[in-house]
Amino acid sequence: MHQYVARRLLLFVPSLLGASILIFVLLRLVPGDIAEIIVYQAGAESATVQRQQVREIRAELGLDRPIVVQYLAWLGNAVRGDFGHSYIQQRPVTQILRERFPRSMELAFLTLVAAVVWAVPLGVVSAVRQNTWADYLVRVVSISGLSLPIFFTGVLILWALVRFFGWLPPLEWVSFLDDPRENLKQLVFPTLAQAYYIAAPIMRLTRSQMLEVVRQDYVRTARAKGLADRTVVYRHALANSLLPVVTFVGWWGGRLLGGLVIMEIIFAVPGMGTALVQAVSNRDYPTVQAIVFVMALVFLTLNLLVDLVYGWLDPRIHYA
Amino acid sequence: MPDVAERAGVAVGVAGVPPTAGAGAWGPLGHLGWFVARQPLGAAGALIVTALIVAAIFAPALAPHGPKDAAFAPYLPPSAEFLMGTDHLGRDMLSRVVWGARLSLYVGLASVLLGITLGALWGIVTAYFGGIADTSSQRVVDSLMALPPIVLALALMAALGQSVTNVIIALAVLLMPTAARTMRSVALSIKEMPYVESARAAGAAEWRIIFRHVVPNTLATYIVIFTVNIAYAIVVEASLSFLGLGAPPDEPSWGSMLTAGTQALETAPWMVFFPGLAISLTVFGLNLLGDSIRDLTDPRLRGGLG
Repeated sequence: MHQYVARRLLLFVPSLLGASILIFVLLRLVPGDIAEIIVYQAGAESATVQRQQVREIRAELGLDRPIVVQYLAWLGNAVRGDFGHSYIQQRPVTQILRERFPRSMELAFLTLVAAVVWAVPLGVVSAVRQNTWADYLVRVVSISGLSLPIFFTGVLILWALVRFFGWLPPLEWVSFLDDPRENLKQLVFPTLAQAYYIAAPIMRLTRSQMLEVVRQDYVRTARAKGLADRTVVYRHALANSLLPVVTFVGWWGGRLLGGLVIMEIIFAVPGMGTALVQAVSNRDYPTVQAIVFVMALVFLTLNLLVDLVYGWLDPRIHYA
Repeated sequence: MPDVAERAGVAVGVAGVPPTAGAGAWGPLGHLGWFVARQPLGAAGALIVTALIVAAIFAPALAPHGPKDAAFAPYLPPSAEFLMGTDHLGRDMLSRVVWGARLSLYVGLASVLLGITLGALWGIVTAYFGGIADTSSQRVVDSLMALPPIVLALALMAALGQSVTNVIIALAVLLMPTAARTMRSVALSIKEMPYVESARAAGAAEWRIIFRHVVPNTLATYIVIFTVNIAYAIVVEASLSFLGLGAPPDEPSWGSMLTAGTQALETAPWMVFFPGLAISLTVFGLNLLGDSIRDLTDPRLRGGLG
């Protein structure tokens, strides 16, 4: 077990470093750099002045140095929590991250909790009452959840809220620490919209796992020794069918984070996703780089946690 | 007599064997009937996909107006003249939705063809040579997969700038690592096959072995990844356009139509419904078809040919 944990932790660092190198290289593959963008967006001056300014900004940002040196400098700063300066927002990127990160993580956490809370019981019901109307209903709900793109579901919910409840996206963000009630009120709809999407595959997986597990010998044994149906379902069958569901959360972590970006945009949540979209449309490279890096960090951490939890839940797992 | 042919197809299909022998006598309908009976959901998917392809190919003939013609009053609700209403610039929504099929399909096919092909070759070649090439390429795949897909696509769009071609490139990069990983594992087992060994013993050059012996045998897997990923590519394209970072806004992309509709949700909800339905139906159809193609080509379900 210790060896498994150690090996898994050892894999984490190279993946994260690799991801950061990739982002760094990808953002610099294309001709034209941030210096040109800053200068040409400002406009006005003559071409000679502009070229002079481009050179100055390049020197200031270190863009005239070899890319390896640039990357090492960036990495050195990033390790110390300094992600550079956003030229569009005119403030340190770290400040943007510090402001936005907790909001997005809150939304992600709520989404996951809501999805599991709603999907697992329905998956169980669907399996226990296989081929009844309850089963069909659950399956239709989950198939529709999988087929509707998340942004369409989001917009439909927004439309229903606006049309029937006169709801409007909040103008100002209220943090959980300031006013928990108001904060949750702001997040409830993006949470539910995304949970509907994430819940669909969890439901299907719980159902198919349950169907498989209830046919196992130990479940028959449990029943044969006279345990109540409830105990058999919850203590014996469910506990063992949840294992793959745990891994699944890791696989879908990427979709969760991608969906987060879309949900934040639709429901006007000023989180990392909104910041990323703004930064991409302004070509604010330092901010894009930092946010993508943090998202990769979150994604990899989620996968790491899932693997560790899985190894802990199932003693048979040994990392090969 | 299609009726008889179909029944024959059904009978053979139930037995679990494609009507290859009888196909000559019954014609293509035998196959069709067999497919419909064996994979009813897949057949429904095929129907939806066919409609999509027809809309994409014949968009200029099917659409009553040009997709970029801002020639009418804005925000007209659906009526006999404008079946899906008009948008904020007074363009006919029906025409834009029909042309959207062409854009979606073009972006989906082009990006999947590019991404899956490059990814497949990458995976096959590195698997074949093994050693450092394989290990280091696996680390690159790991790193690419460490980035959440939509986030990676957004970062690429920041670097490339907005255009339809760049969306295709971004999507191709997104699809490459998964294809590389899957094809690598397939190629790893093929490269140990006796026929590869005998080709080598006969003195065939490495590249000849790769392209004459390994690549053709990965084709079944290639087809499956290909079909499964088209729906995915179409959704990601629509997501990028929805975020305003995919195709330029005047292009008839279902995603950007949804964005425009979101701005006018209260006054013109039809601007959201129709493009949204178009995407959902497309994804639904492609998923159904992809599932059944996977079932049909999966060696475990097909019975021992793999």
